[in-house]
Amino acid sequence: MKKKVLALVLACTMVFSMAACGKETPAPEGETKPEEVVTDNTDTEADTEVEAEPEVVSELTDGKFAETRHITVEVYDRGNDGGSDPTNNMYTEYIKKGMLEDHNVEVEFVAVPRWTETEEINNLLAAGTAPDICLTYSYPTIQTYANMGGVLDLNQYLEQYRSELNNLYDWLGDTNIYWNQDDETKTIWAIEGKRANSRRILTFVRQDWLDQLNLKEPTNKKEFYDTICAFRDNADTLLGGDAKKMVPFSVSYDVGWRAALLIESNIDPKITDKEYYCNGFDDRKLTQNGTKEAIRTLNAWYNEGLLWKDFALYSSGDSNEDDMMKAGYVGAFQHNWDYPFRNGEDSIQANLARLVGEDAKFVAVDCFENSDGVTLKYVDSTAGDRKIFFPSTNDEPLASMLYLDWISAPEHVQYLQIGDEGVTHNVLSDGAIETVAAEGDAIMNSGNNIDLTITCNGLRLMDENLTVLSAAHGYANCDPADVQKAIAYAEANMKHSINVKTGEIKAEDGMGEALSAKRDIVYDTAVVAAPADFDKVWDDAIADYLASGGQAIIDERTSAWEKVYGDSTSVK
Amino acid sequence: MSAKTKEQKYKAPKQHVNWKVYLKRYWQLYALLFLPMAYLLLFRYVPMRYVIIAFKKYSIVQKIGEMPWAKNHGMQYFIQAFHNKDFINALRNTVMLNLLDLVVGFPIPIIFALILNELPFKRFKKTVQTIAYMPHFLSWVIIYGLAIQLFTPTNGLVNMFIEKLGGEAVPFLNEPTHWVATYIFLGVWQSFGWNSIVYLAAIAGISPELYEAASVDGAGRFSKIWHITLPGIRGTIVTLLVMALGNIIGSGFDRPFALANNLVMKYGEVISTFVYKNGIKGLQFSLTTAVGLFQSVVGVFFLLFANWLARKLGERGIW
Repeated sequence: MKKKVLALVLACTMVFSMAACGKETPAPEGETKPEEVVTDNTDTEADTEVEAEPEVVSELTDGKFAETRHITVEVYDRGNDGGSDPTNNMYTEYIKKGMLEDHNVEVEFVAVPRWTETEEINNLLAAGTAPDICLTYSYPTIQTYANMGGVLDLNQYLEQYRSELNNLYDWLGDTNIYWNQDDETKTIWAIEGKRANSRRILTFVRQDWLDQLNLKEPTNKKEFYDTICAFRDNADTLLGGDAKKMVPFSVSYDVGWRAALLIESNIDPKITDKEYYCNGFDDRKLTQNGTKEAIRTLNAWYNEGLLWKDFALYSSGDSNEDDMMKAGYVGAFQHNWDYPFRNGEDSIQANLARLVGEDAKFVAVDCFENSDGVTLKYVDSTAGDRKIFFPSTNDEPLASMLYLDWISAPEHVQYLQIGDEGVTHNVLSDGAIETVAAEGDAIMNSGNNIDLTITCNGLRLMDENLTVLSAAHGYANCDPADVQKAIAYAEANMKHSINVKTGEIKAEDGMGEALSAKRDIVYDTAVVAAPADFDKVWDDAIADYLASGGQAIIDERTSAWEKVYGDSTSVK
Repeated sequence: MSAKTKEQKYKAPKQHVNWKVYLKRYWQLYALLFLPMAYLLLFRYVPMRYVIIAFKKYSIVQKIGEMPWAKNHGMQYFIQAFHNKDFINALRNTVMLNLLDLVVGFPIPIIFALILNELPFKRFKKTVQTIAYMPHFLSWVIIYGLAIQLFTPTNGLVNMFIEKLGGEAVPFLNEPTHWVATYIFLGVWQSFGWNSIVYLAAIAGISPELYEAASVDGAGRFSKIWHITLPGIRGTIVTLLVMALGNIIGSGFDRPFALANNLVMKYGEVISTFVYKNGIKGLQFSLTTAVGLFQSVVGVFFLLFANWLARKLGERGIW
């Protein structure tokens, strides 16, 4: 009898657990989200709302919906040590409250890991659960989604709701909003978030090591090479017992970025728009003329013991290299113009001061000159940064547009970027805003909360003069003079990129990730090759890259250029 | 099928009764079987209908039925895969790494089980066995972390030791050929203890009388191993070999993905990582489903072949 009861109980448990599983298995065809049922009393079907939109503007009274709407918004999770919850902190609360008050829209944030954003968004889109407002750095990815019908055309909504979007238009301007518009079909799959400034990448050198060895700040490539050689040769003096851990010049697996200034200094300054565009699919300039010679230099450096031997073994998001910088083993590196200043207490600069000594710090240098002798910086225009798109599962396009408008309003951007006085910033005597390290909920997970101000990357205060004045004070625990120097160098000799409108390049469809992975392989294997084998390794690897789709893209870009611009080698 | 009709012809009514009788008598057992069966059905068979994606042009927004058929009578993506040299490369690497795994990794648990079996001290034996199978529970990401600590050229413990002894650092992880050796070694290290358990169980099932009789006949330790233990576990060895052969073109994802790096992709890219890179990351779901389907079909053929061979050689095979 006991046995029977037990068996019955077990069987029931199974059946119930099955039933529970059944509910959880993704229902691929079920499209209505529970929230819609609650908030959308009038519409039973998602589609009807989209069709009913011609009169939608009248849905709003004083910019507010009559009934509360619900939207989801992507936010990057950077996984910072001691950071706040990216979906629920002081700043997200500010946004939620503001949107509810101003537009009667409920905002929910969806965290997407910053370093695997593409995979994550792919999965969310395929499952039909992508946030209503998505952002990514990769336009080819959006194009791929769009070709599958997975992205809403923003053009219709921009036209329809233009009157409600003044903040958005004021900030982004037509340049960024229509940057990706197809000239023929007029479709806009994504609008470009704007960079508040164009600073991009810089070289940093350990100031205290220069001082110890009585060296001057390098001002050209030759001097830079001599400097890192001097670091290597004096490792015993500089690091004592840790001399073996010395890395005179550090690059990561992402050589194309971490040696970008070296690579760009090898590009012919007279390069035409056409050549730059046709060879320009890879954002790490792999297929530009001149890159090979830059990597030959890096290869020589590697074989002379100037680079970190293990660089290729650690992948994206790994903190080992940063830890070496913080521990003081690294002599020089290239990275984002503010890289050593980022993250307050945990910044490279703050760690160096703590672990190595008060005078230990990185300073910016400007020493990668091209054949004209100019330290040219290839920077993006105001666009070319983060792209915002609405997946086709977004059934609140108006509420989403209002969100973009709200998040672009100067007063909202200012609050999100500098927070409360006394908590995240102090006001200096000249009015400049000085960032201070915050605690708990008030910690910004990204510098100036750029992950939340999705239409604006970089500091943007309501008073432009104040923005300039405050820029150098934007990093807690850092000497403003060091930041000011970095700004000056980063802004010297900029070459802004141009918008080439050739329409979609079919060969690029779906190739972004595969070719980026290949690109890194080309760079990494070429850097570690024996000098005698360098030509062979590079040529083979490039041939492989081109055969895997790189050449098809170059060819299609060339013919697309010629179709639009004819024989001209410039867009003008 | 024919066997079934035959049975029905002669004992159909009785069979029917039998089935009901059995169900009534053993319904508790059937109830217990329900969950694993449902699991298999739900998570192994139901998703199989999506292999049709391999023959269609995938879209993230359309339902399966709505997606248009691929070009070339639905074979577009198979043709594309075999024109893709990265896929061919991944295929080659998969087979190469799995064969090496088989050649190196298959005998080691057997040898280990034989050695353990010969140990007279029970407690020592148990301890060794436990320690040996522990790595099985480590994820590959952790093992890669260990490998980094041990084998990197500059800070790896092993290389520091070699350099202290006056040698030159060995590029265990950053040179393709060395990497293959490291890959195989780590795989064997992780799994040999665990894989030996089934052999130890089989050895335990051999009648002790055989050993006693052999001792009486004057057989030494090695002849007992050779003439009694090994033949006693032959069936187990063959079964596991058949299963290993069936998996020769398959590949786990964690191990190659965690262990590979950009410098060794020449050998490190296998089918599963190819599928991840191009499918999940590159959104080419149709192409990678085609690759996965191809992999499975070839795997089934290998399995059938190995099983057929085993039966030809007089063993039971796996069914």
